[in-house]
Amino acid sequence: MDAVVKRLIKEIKKDGDEKAFAELVDLYKDKVFQIAYRMTGNHYEAQDMAQESFLRAYANIDRYDENRKFSTWLFRITTNLCIDRLRKRKPDYSLDEEIKGTDGLTGYAQIAATDQLPEDQVVTLEMQEWVQKAIVSLPPKYRSAIILRYIEDLNIQQISNILDLPENTVKTHIHRGREALRKRLKDA
Amino acid sequence: MACHKDYEYKLHQYLDGDMTETERDELYQHLDTCEECAIHYKELKKSVMFVQSASHIEAPFEFTEGVLKNLPAKKKTKWWKK
Repeated sequence: MDAVVKRLIKEIKKDGDEKAFAELVDLYKDKVFQIAYRMTGNHYEAQDMAQESFLRAYANIDRYDENRKFSTWLFRITTNLCIDRLRKRKPDYSLDEEIKGTDGLTGYAQIAATDQLPEDQVVTLEMQEWVQKAIVSLPPKYRSAIILRYIEDLNIQQISNILDLPENTVKTHIHRGREALRKRLKDA
Repeated sequence: MACHKDYEYKLHQYLDGDMTETERDELYQHLDTCEECAIHYKELKKSVMFVQSASHIEAPFEFTEGVLKNLPAKKKTKWWKK
C-alpha cells in the first residue's frame, strides 16, 4: 500500500494528475469519512469535512513531506477541519433538535439511517446511536483522541503525530475521554 | 469510582499498556481485594468495548466523484506550444 501511495503522490505532485488523485481518494475515503462522522456526529457535515479534507490535501500536496506517513498528514487535515467546524457551531446546536421540514426527524435518526450494520453485528442500532451520542458528547480534544485510538485503532505515537501533541498530552486526553465515556456508558 | 485517584491513574496506565510486570501484579492484587476499583475497571473496559464496537461506516456513494468535481480547474497543458 505504501508503495502505491508513494507512486500516486509522485504523479499528483508532478502534474496534478486527477486520475492518481481519484485513486488516492478511494484508498482513504472511508477512514476520513469515519473520522469526520464521529467528530461532527452527522452525515452532512461529515461529508462536507471529508470532501474538504481531500481538496485541501490536493491543493497543498507540495507541502506534504514524503518521508512521513501520508495518512498522518491527511488525518491531521481532517481533525483540524472538524475541530474548527465544531468551534464555529452555534452553541445551541443539538442533535436532539428537530430538523426543519422533516416532520419530527432528529439528528439521531439521520445517524441511524446512515450507519451500515453488517449482518453479524451484535450491537443493536439503538446501542449504536447511544454509543455515538456518548462519543459526540465528549469535548472535541478528547473526542479526536478517542476516535483515533479506538475507532481507527492507531497507537499513541501515531495519534501524537496526527494531533501534533506530545504523547503524554494524548494519553491524558484519552484518559479523560475514557472517564467521561465510563460515566455515560456504565449503566448499559 | 476508584478508591483512590492513584488507582484511577493506574487503571488508565494499565489500559494503555504502560506498566511493568511488577506494577501489573500489584494492580491485579488490588483489584482482587477492592470492589470499588474492580467495578471502575469493569466500567472502563466496557466503555472502550462499546466504542470499539461502533459500526464502521463507509463514505457515501459517489464520494470520490464529488471530490473530483470540486477540484480547481486544471492548468492548461501547453503541449501544443512545444
